[in-house]
Amino acid sequence: MNNPELWRDRYRLMVLMRRFEEACLTGVASREIHGELHTAIGQEAIAAALAENIREGDALASTHRNHLHAIAKGIPLYPLMAEIFEKETGLCGGFGGHMHLFDKERRFSTTGIVGASLPVALGHAYAAKLRGDDTVAFAVIGDGSVNAGGFHETMNMASVLGLALVVVIENNEWAISVPFSAASSTAKLAERAVAYAIPGERVDGLDVDATSQAIGRAVAHARSTGPALVEAMCYRFRGHYEGDLDLYRSQSEKTDRTTTKDPVVLLRAQLRDGGMLDEATLERLESQVSAEIDAVLAQVRADKQPDRSRAHDHVFASGLKGAVA
Amino acid sequence: MTMTANPTNETSAPRNINISQAVAEGLRLAMEADDRVVVIGEDVATQGGVFGSTRGLLKAFGPERVLDTPISEMAFTGMAVGLAMDGYRPVIEIMFVDFIGVCLEQVYNAVAKIPYMSGGKVDMPVVIKTAGGSIGAAAQHSQTLWGLFGHLPGLRVVAPSNPYDSKGMMAAAVASDDPVVFIEHKGLLLERAQDFEFGANVPREAYDVPLDKAAVVRPGSDLTLVTLSGSVRHALTAADAAILSGVDVEVIDLRSIVPIDWETIGTSLAKTRALLVVDEDYLGYGLSGELITGAIERFGLGSLDYVGRHGNPGIPVPAALSLEREIVPGTESILNAIVRAGAER
Ligand SMILES: Cc1ncc(C[n+]2csc(CCOP(=O)(O)OP(=O)(O)O)c2C)c(N)n1
Repeated sequence: MNNPELWRDRYRLMVLMRRFEEACLTGVASREIHGELHTAIGQEAIAAALAENIREGDALASTHRNHLHAIAKGIPLYPLMAEIFEKETGLCGGFGGHMHLFDKERRFSTTGIVGASLPVALGHAYAAKLRGDDTVAFAVIGDGSVNAGGFHETMNMASVLGLALVVVIENNEWAISVPFSAASSTAKLAERAVAYAIPGERVDGLDVDATSQAIGRAVAHARSTGPALVEAMCYRFRGHYEGDLDLYRSQSEKTDRTTTKDPVVLLRAQLRDGGMLDEATLERLESQVSAEIDAVLAQVRADKQPDRSRAHDHVFASGLKGAVA
Repeated sequence: MTMTANPTNETSAPRNINISQAVAEGLRLAMEADDRVVVIGEDVATQGGVFGSTRGLLKAFGPERVLDTPISEMAFTGMAVGLAMDGYRPVIEIMFVDFIGVCLEQVYNAVAKIPYMSGGKVDMPVVIKTAGGSIGAAAQHSQTLWGLFGHLPGLRVVAPSNPYDSKGMMAAAVASDDPVVFIEHKGLLLERAQDFEFGANVPREAYDVPLDKAAVVRPGSDLTLVTLSGSVRHALTAADAAILSGVDVEVIDLRSIVPIDWETIGTSLAKTRALLVVDEDYLGYGLSGELITGAIERFGLGSLDYVGRHGNPGIPVPAALSLEREIVPGTESILNAIVRAGAER
């Protein structure tokens, strides 16, 4: 821990991610956000580790729980939050919404269909091969996604073709109400890598440093050889989506995990107790981040929903209108 | 004025249950009556379904007959095929109809075709239970897609609009030897039975609602409005309001997409000579075209003074509600369509 700047940036980013999603929660309460909002509160260390290892030109295909991956990919907070709030100023003009975030220039995409991000990342990885550049394609998925057929097909093809694909599994132990232990034939997901003859490792996803190093190793392997897999262990702090009653798991376990295994709280204690950042500095940093997010939220709130007359736009790139409109 | 879809139940007071509970009750009674019925899908057991429409089944029948699966639709839809071949009667849940893509192959190449390909020797008494409907959840979570299933030969396709039908049609779907795609409406599942103008009474005992019978939920003389699922309520409200414009609308709840109940529609058209289809699904190549063309083919061009349709004009469901309102039929837009139809006649 001899690089105070790195650690301050890590902590700052994780607090920012937390505040960002807390701001989104207010949008559910105010009914500005519709559908099932999935937050990754409790999974910030993985996203921060990802951010450290992803270059601007790399591609990232994400899932329904995608806000932090978008931040990790460097998407500006304002259009990002505006899209989540379904505003015309959003990343996709309010057409996509929180589950469907797209930033072509930054090679970022998402899908609401479990497992469907993997083959998309495969495409990015093959594009890199065709172009002959050294960009990496990331697929970030949940532990539930590995049981979908697309996972197997993607891993196999990526390995056969030796593609620069890094699969990061956020193993938060739950797929809605089904626990990881009841859904996976293997005790660890990392060990499935053997079936594809690629490296796979499991890491403590609450530990930003360990996770960053594991992803770093995977990226190095991807750039030189072929696909690699990282399974980062974490826990889903909130219900599957906002509004989920979350009655299927032990409340005491949840309380326990959210109080003692919060990656943001853990890192804060580590930095303070290790003498890295003093209390006053930490507080200053936190209030700066809060102010930054508050400002974004206020701006987003003031924005309008897209005008309903635009509903027919974008169905076809040519401007052709909907089939029978 | 509205008429209940099941006048015989008007005497008993509505129970305080919602549609998903009615579905769960239909399933429970079917499973009690026939131990070959198994329920398979994501979150169907411990959680009892994300909408609660399989709640209580795990407790009643155990984890083998009510199986929580990994997110492996291709595998468990194919499982239904093997189970059916072995004499079971699987009910598989595809959580949202939007997710059908990952296992559609098993649905239309196996479930739907094996009875035919086997020369009628192998039945597929499979229920594909799923939820559709545009509910502000954007392009990948707000589709209805019954037109897609309707296009594929070999599948019965139904979409109930109210609590009474939901329970009885689920029972009939499980009892059917044909594969049935049973499309619930995400926006209706958690609605209380007592809030429905029709079909609010859900008897505790087992009963069937036929899979292929449309219901006249509001009699009228000027215009036959055929709709289904979540749009029925909006259509009834719009029909009530249309009286002010001098159009007396007969509202038909189709209930079954495959087969279409031409008898009920024909009787209505003989009276009104005007057909308006309201469809939450994509209009192109879908149910509305089928209904209008089918009516013309059956009853003759000369039997109709008006045909029209109103639905999603072929646009992925947008995220922002301002945009969604533009393309998904609601009370207001249906009323406009009725008034337009009234003016054009
Ligand atoms: C093909 C498909 N099946 C089911 C769903 C419904 N669904 C959405 S998220 C989810 C659980 C995903 O679990 P996991 O991959 O572990 O991610 P997490 O939500 O835990 O982050 C399910 C079943 C879906 N979106 N797509």
